[in-house]
Amino acid sequence: MKKGIYISGAIAILFAVTAAVPMAVYKVSKGSIQFRSDAPLELIKASSDELAGLFDSDKKMFAFRIKVNTFTGFNGLLQKEHFNENYLETAKYPYASFEGKLIEDIDYSKPGTYNVRAKGNLTVHGVTQERIIKITLEVKNKLVSASSEFTVLLADHNITIPKVVHEKLASEIKVAVSAELTTP
Amino acid sequence: MPKQKHFFKFFNCLIIFLLTCQCCFAQLPGYKSFNLGEANSSNKIFTLFKNKQGYIFTGCDDGLYKFDGKQFKKTEVLHSSVTDTVTAIFQDSKGQLWNGYQSGNIAVMNNGNLAYIQPEEGTPKKGITAFAQDRQGNTWLGTRGEGIYYFREKRMYLINEEDGLSDLNIHALAVSSSGDIIAATDNGINICSVKGAEKKITVITPQQGLPDYIVTSIIAAGNDQFWVGLQDKGICLYDHRTQQITQPSAIHSWNKGQVNSLLYNNGNLWIATQDSGLINFTVTQNKIISVPALNNQQKSITSIIDDNEGNVWLVADSKTLIRTAGNSLALFPLYNKALFETIHTILADHENNLWVGSDMAVIKYTSPDALSTSKKYPIAGLDLKTDITSLYQDNFHNIWIGTMGKGIFVLNPATGENRQLKEVLPSGSNSILSITGNSNTICAAGLEGALVFELTNKNISIKNPYGFTSYNNIENIGSTYIYNAFKDSRGRTWFATDGKGLTMLQNGSFTHYNNKNGIKDNHIYSITEDKQGRIWFSTSNAGIYSFDGKTFTNYTLRDGLSNLAVSSIKTDRQGNIVIVHPSGLDIIHPQTGNISYINGAQGIIDINTDMGAICSDSSGNIFVATQNGILKYTALPGIQPMPVTIIESVQLFLNDIDTNVMQYFKYDENNFTFNFNGLYYSNSDNIFYQYKLDGFDSSWQLTTDDSKSFPKLSPGKYVFRVRSSLNKNFRNTSSASFAFEIAKPFWKTWWFIALITLITGGVLYWYIRTREGRLKHVERLRQEKIEFQFQVLRNQVNPHFLFNSFNTLISTIEENPAVAVQYVEQLSDFFRNIVTYRDKDMISLEEEIGLLQTYFYLQQRRYGNYLQLQINLTGHDEKEIFLPPLTLQLLMENAIKHNAVSKEALLTVQLYAQNEYLVISNNINHKTNSETGTGMGLQNIINRYAMLTDKKVIVHKTNEHFIVSLPILKQG
Repeated sequence: MKKGIYISGAIAILFAVTAAVPMAVYKVSKGSIQFRSDAPLELIKASSDELAGLFDSDKKMFAFRIKVNTFTGFNGLLQKEHFNENYLETAKYPYASFEGKLIEDIDYSKPGTYNVRAKGNLTVHGVTQERIIKITLEVKNKLVSASSEFTVLLADHNITIPKVVHEKLASEIKVAVSAELTTP
Repeated sequence: MPKQKHFFKFFNCLIIFLLTCQCCFAQLPGYKSFNLGEANSSNKIFTLFKNKQGYIFTGCDDGLYKFDGKQFKKTEVLHSSVTDTVTAIFQDSKGQLWNGYQSGNIAVMNNGNLAYIQPEEGTPKKGITAFAQDRQGNTWLGTRGEGIYYFREKRMYLINEEDGLSDLNIHALAVSSSGDIIAATDNGINICSVKGAEKKITVITPQQGLPDYIVTSIIAAGNDQFWVGLQDKGICLYDHRTQQITQPSAIHSWNKGQVNSLLYNNGNLWIATQDSGLINFTVTQNKIISVPALNNQQKSITSIIDDNEGNVWLVADSKTLIRTAGNSLALFPLYNKALFETIHTILADHENNLWVGSDMAVIKYTSPDALSTSKKYPIAGLDLKTDITSLYQDNFHNIWIGTMGKGIFVLNPATGENRQLKEVLPSGSNSILSITGNSNTICAAGLEGALVFELTNKNISIKNPYGFTSYNNIENIGSTYIYNAFKDSRGRTWFATDGKGLTMLQNGSFTHYNNKNGIKDNHIYSITEDKQGRIWFSTSNAGIYSFDGKTFTNYTLRDGLSNLAVSSIKTDRQGNIVIVHPSGLDIIHPQTGNISYINGAQGIIDINTDMGAICSDSSGNIFVATQNGILKYTALPGIQPMPVTIIESVQLFLNDIDTNVMQYFKYDENNFTFNFNGLYYSNSDNIFYQYKLDGFDSSWQLTTDDSKSFPKLSPGKYVFRVRSSLNKNFRNTSSASFAFEIAKPFWKTWWFIALITLITGGVLYWYIRTREGRLKHVERLRQEKIEFQFQVLRNQVNPHFLFNSFNTLISTIEENPAVAVQYVEQLSDFFRNIVTYRDKDMISLEEEIGLLQTYFYLQQRRYGNYLQLQINLTGHDEKEIFLPPLTLQLLMENAIKHNAVSKEALLTVQLYAQNEYLVISNNINHKTNSETGTGMGLQNIINRYAMLTDKKVIVHKTNEHFIVSLPILKQG
């Protein structure tokens, strides 16, 4: 819960700070996250379109978050319930987030595709891990499209899975994110 | 005219200038420059690295090169065609070689294969500048502009300004004993430690006492202290335990500009600078010295490392790799060639001044490290013809001067005052060849015997007389012509005589060592003692001997000695024996007996081999006089004095194999090439190898090639062994080996041979069994036939048959003699046919029917029409059907024998063909007293048919009929 407040706070601060220099702040207008667990016995796939986030291109800082229980597309209702209640405990930890700073410098006035890396804190299941994540940015005037693929190790985020489910849930979850960010 | 003169002057100047340049090269002993080769002339070298084997790697603008002392070999990155500049090289504790590139790429070399790594996090976009490994085995890397990355488990992490790093430009990384990473940055030193997710950064900047902001390099100095190179303020020492910075006072007024790289060994800090060449800082002496460059242009030293032989390697102007002898060699060009011709002896005094004896004077060169000044001390009483043969400094720092013909002089170097030792002249000792000493004992040897002086405190002044003993009695020493007198650490005095061997004086008694003790040459020149107390001496033409009190050990050309005539030997600071030859120094390492060299490979030429032209100072440094100046040789501790043998690669049909994995080969994988190297950078051009392939060679083979092929090895177990040496002596040299096995071809394996034997045995057994069976079958057939014949004959000569036949004949003769004649004819026909057919295996059905009808005729005469024979074989050719002879006859005979034949009981025998069977049947008329049959006849028929065909003879008996079906056989 605390983390959630902290993240909301961070986003609020970003908003407040960037309000003064509106040109440099991008906001997620359309964003989705997909994840995929490719276990020997079961493939779990789910996605959510409710990605929210802000990016300050001057400071190279960003904050993204998603409400975990908005993921849909599970194989069954039971699977979704397991996911929400047993593994990610969405009641306790409603949000997953990634916030930090880009390592590389980019000229946002120049349209083009840039491969950059972001260093930041990835919070899943209430556990924060520092991560470097590769992102592809496509800059078009006031629109920035971002896409990224990375993995989340369940062990990194204290997500414990019962032994019986080991064959059904991969220890490494593949995550794909895509977002369109616009500046007013 | 004047103009022309000017021209000549200019020309002269030019020539002199050129010659000076030449001298410059010659005056740097141990220096050698290496270029990456013609094809790579534009290459820039960015970094140097020495791996655990001792190999030097250069990181260049087009990749990684391994340098073996002769050539640079490039290692390409697998599956990559782009040119990538290597900016950092590192070997981790597992032996993996890491390469960092200017592009930010990272590559790791495993088993000789270099491949980029691709972490999920991506690789840095800025150049990699440094690597380090913490105590958990995690690899860290510094970048030019992104901070510090480290790998932990599956992830890669970044430490940058958000974590408190004071600057993102990392120049160097070092590791503390506790595993902290110490980074040199553009803004001070950053000490990074990571515990779990927590990163702790401590920054040391000028606020904490660092002399400069920009830290360019950092290296371990032992005891958790680190030498730190600075951009503008020289160097300082960082103590990680106290986190204190100190700067040696000699560095306070640093004016050598930017420090690029540091190297620390044996108490010496080597400082590579951007604009001022290489600087050597001796920590204990707090002294900095500029190390001469190979040429004046090479002032920018970018990288520096040492090898295992004590050489210091540097990269000048980012493009030339230069080997220097480090601390082991120095040359002091103190005199010109003309003066050199007059020098017979040199001396290094207690203040590191060098002295030479010249015409009628001795010359002192003050502190030859810096710009030297010389002072000449004229010695009164010498003339131009007098050679100064020896110089020695006693414990009171007075200089002893031995001359040819004028005896001994003593000089007080402080005052320049000197006097001839007139007290020794009466003993005739005026031609001195050598002066040596040990604490207060001084030994002077010459053409008139030897003098041994015992100094007292009074001798602090040269004016007081010296007490001495004169050894000029031929009977005592053997000769009055003594080249060298030497007092050893045990108080024994040794005399090197001309022609009478070695004489030892102990407690007033003399012992002689000469030919009788196995010394091949009785002309002894020079004596010294090693750290183990062994006495070493040189001879005029039998090389060097060592004597441990019991045995004499001879060192000759075979052991690697350059020359057998040795006038001077000395013991260096590590206890090695230094031998002077005109072309260089041989150094015997007494522990192993190995000999290493300082010679032309180090640029050494024209050494004065006069007995007195070698000396050692109080620290054990050795000095020799060469044409270009006085050469100082310092034996370094812990260096490797000989090549390290390495099997570079093993090739199968000229393709490299991974020797860690492949040790077993198929029978046709039998063409092996071994590439090896005796790694010795000091003299890589003169390496001798010995190799032996266990299982092929019975003895070691000598070669100078670094490769050996075995084209057609037969199956077996092999060990390839190779060892390398600087000479043809391979005792105690390093060796390398590769064991492998070539399998036998499968047809030579035991299991294959066993299998083949088994199969052959099986086939043979089967054949014999079948043949046996066939023979038995034939045999049985023959047996059956004989039995059958016997049966038939017995039947026919049966008295009943004959009796019946004769009865029939008698009655017929009476009734009808004509018929009787016919009857007899038929009877004789019948018997003739039996005799004719009995030997045959088969007869045709036609013949058998003929026989049957004859028999039927004979029987019908007896039974009349009560016996009937019905033959119905329509549709069958009687000539084509075959059967064993007498079969049908026998069956008919059986029918008659077993049945009543009378008016009331007609007997009808039928013969017909049915479904490939020849059927003979008769009706059954039970007889009241049936003739007892043996049953042999029918059984015999069945057996004979069984041997002729698979089809069976079917015997079928109903209430009315007895039917025998015979399979129809057709011959052919």
